[in-house]
Amino acid sequence: MKKFLLTGFIFLLPIILTSYFVDLLISKNLKKSNSYAQKEYSTWNAIVDGKLNSEILIYGSSRAWTHFDTKIIEDSLKQRTYNLGIDGSAFKLQNLRHVLALKNNTKPKLIIYSVDAWTIQEGNLYNSDQFLPYMLWDKNFFNYTSKYEGFNYFDYKIPLIRYYGKFEAIKTAIQMIISPNNNIVERIKGYQGQTKPWNNDFENAKNSITKFVIKSDKHIVELFDNYLKECKEQNIEVILVYSPIFIEGQEFLQNQKQVINTFEILAKNNDFLFMNFSKDEICFDKKYFYNSTHLNKTGAELFTKKLCNQMKNISTKEQFGAITPSVQNRLYDILYKK
Amino acid sequence: MIFNSLNFAIFLPIVFLLYWFATKGNLRFQNILLLVSSYFFYACWDWRFMFLLIFSTLLDYYTGIKIYETTNIRKKKFWLWLSIGINLGFLGVFKYYNFFAASFADGLSLLGCKANLFSLQVILPVGISFYTFHGLSYVIDIYKNQIKPERNFIDYSVFVSFFPLLVAGPIERATHLLPQILKKREFDYSKALDGMRQILWGLFKKIVIADNCAVYANTIFNNSADYSGSTLVLGALFFTFQIYCDFSGYSDIALGTARLFGIDLLRNFAFPYFSRDIAEFWRRWHISLSSWFKDYLYIPLGGSKGGMWMKIRNTFIIFLVSGFWHGANWTFIIWGFLNALYIMPSIVLNTHRNNLDIVAKGKYLPTLKDFFAIGITFSLTVFAWIFFRANNVTHAFHYISEIASPSLFSIPYFKDGSLSLLTIILVFLFQIVEWLGRESQYAIQHLFNKNRIIRWGFYYLIIVLIFVFAGSNQQFIYFQF
Repeated sequence: MKKFLLTGFIFLLPIILTSYFVDLLISKNLKKSNSYAQKEYSTWNAIVDGKLNSEILIYGSSRAWTHFDTKIIEDSLKQRTYNLGIDGSAFKLQNLRHVLALKNNTKPKLIIYSVDAWTIQEGNLYNSDQFLPYMLWDKNFFNYTSKYEGFNYFDYKIPLIRYYGKFEAIKTAIQMIISPNNNIVERIKGYQGQTKPWNNDFENAKNSITKFVIKSDKHIVELFDNYLKECKEQNIEVILVYSPIFIEGQEFLQNQKQVINTFEILAKNNDFLFMNFSKDEICFDKKYFYNSTHLNKTGAELFTKKLCNQMKNISTKEQFGAITPSVQNRLYDILYKK
Repeated sequence: MIFNSLNFAIFLPIVFLLYWFATKGNLRFQNILLLVSSYFFYACWDWRFMFLLIFSTLLDYYTGIKIYETTNIRKKKFWLWLSIGINLGFLGVFKYYNFFAASFADGLSLLGCKANLFSLQVILPVGISFYTFHGLSYVIDIYKNQIKPERNFIDYSVFVSFFPLLVAGPIERATHLLPQILKKREFDYSKALDGMRQILWGLFKKIVIADNCAVYANTIFNNSADYSGSTLVLGALFFTFQIYCDFSGYSDIALGTARLFGIDLLRNFAFPYFSRDIAEFWRRWHISLSSWFKDYLYIPLGGSKGGMWMKIRNTFIIFLVSGFWHGANWTFIIWGFLNALYIMPSIVLNTHRNNLDIVAKGKYLPTLKDFFAIGITFSLTVFAWIFFRANNVTHAFHYISEIASPSLFSIPYFKDGSLSLLTIILVFLFQIVEWLGRESQYAIQHLFNKNRIIRWGFYYLIIVLIFVFAGSNQQFIYFQF
């Protein structure tokens, strides 16, 4: 028996000894990829390596990273901007980016938070491969992602385990070693305009269900409220933005009013600005969308310009409802005081 | 808990260490541990079906003793048929009720009558077909005075529920497994090492070959109308290797695991795709089921003793029943029927025992005659698998008619352009290893035996391939039977 166990140990020893270094090699090269895992690595790298260097950070889901053109914002507001929108995510995972951004980078002056009905959901671990290179022995990644279905305890604690069966990830890492230059940058400071034509996702959804209700999760609303309070304590200004949704999509989402109302209250309670673009004229023109909830590049550029203009024009109170003088003053300070 | 899961990777070493260290070689404790582990293993699937398993165990345990103790032949028969009736009754309800109800309603509707029969929304208890047959062989053997009943309930329960074979076989015989359960087991270094090696090879077959072939087989079969004849042929080939590596991979892991506990299970596969005729194929494919049907159905029906017509009739019966055993679907029955047809010429010409040895024994390559014989047998098998895999009979016929079209001569392609050349290369290399190792119990048993460095290097390569290509993590096909 001892001989058997010893043989097994000797056989496994090279695997155990090399596993960490192989893990390191894969992770180090995988995160260089600008295309794998829905192109999220460049953003994660900037967050983790402390390279955001931005006064304005944009948070949200895919509606953030496809709607808020960082170049337009920088040109218009003269503030360095990084878009931290994370595809398919709800508040909890967006908050992971926030926590890591604050931990590894200088504090931003302003957060533009792209909100919608999906923000205040529990969400899931969509596109979980984006966490692969960063999650080993990392407390924050463990705390924020381990409760979702996707990874098990050992994935966070034992090298290489999480790459089991990840053929595409390993292939990408090897490609990065062999031809590192074949790596086109598509997301600029987290933003990428979408040139896709209108797809049939919405029509398909309408064919299968007549109405759509997204119930907000009370617990997540509370967390979001706490998050806003923490920002307030840290002197970080937050603007909640409900960016355009195609009008037919809005009609399809039965409880949109309720959702908007939730964000209005959250903003008001924390003395932050809420900008609602749900009735903007962009919403009525299909040519600005590639599906019912996502603007295409033209739509995103138009929307971002409008957003910047309205932010600059902070004196037009009526447009966004009740704006308190303190919000106005703080925004003015951010945009115009050096 | 499936064999290719992290849970099993934790479960097995714990049970293994407890078995050899905590029990201190005490047979009674070892068997209790095996039983508890086996019930835990089974409860991980669905704890509710534990009761069915325990009931089935109790039934066969009790009826076995009753059959043995009763001298009155009528009473013996009563207990035997009680056990058979209840066992098959469970199988019938869980596995076949909906099939019979739907077929009966269809039959009535053809006569112009309408019947609204209940359909049951039941989940098939995993392993029911296996442990039912397991128990049946036990009581039948007692009835035939071939064995004595086991009086120790724990030992008998281990025989029925031993976790490596519980959910998908091999279908053991009391004459083979029970004596091993009752005998003191000492740790055997070479046996345990061999077990580990067989587990590794089984994992490779399942995870690398079967699961990757499954991706393409599923894509092609589920969208067969979209593909050319040549791609459909490729789909059938993918399924051919999927089902072989899935099931024989499972069997390898089961046999290897059992060997770690000092127990030898019946061999279930012997390189069936190198068979030179269909009779040989059936001596090499799912051996424990084929021999079960031979011993408990074919021979009781008269076997070949009643002349040619009896032999033909009985052959058709066992193949049809074998097809039906796989599931309540006409596709399986046609698959069984086709195999009966395939084997018929050799039955009639009495050539079905021509190829009892290993093909090209001691040689690297087969003769041209053997090569063609293997090719023809393999092609017939692939054709039959189309019925086995198809969703229904109509689908199978559509699939075949699409193959028999001019597009058969086009270059195979997938709509999304993701034809995995890599999977084909892996299957090809796998077949080479299988060919090289065909004289062993499993392909890598004696491979690179003389050089430890090369041998270990080969094992490391297998581990790397498993690590990299473990993609879709599919359920074992035979769990549904």
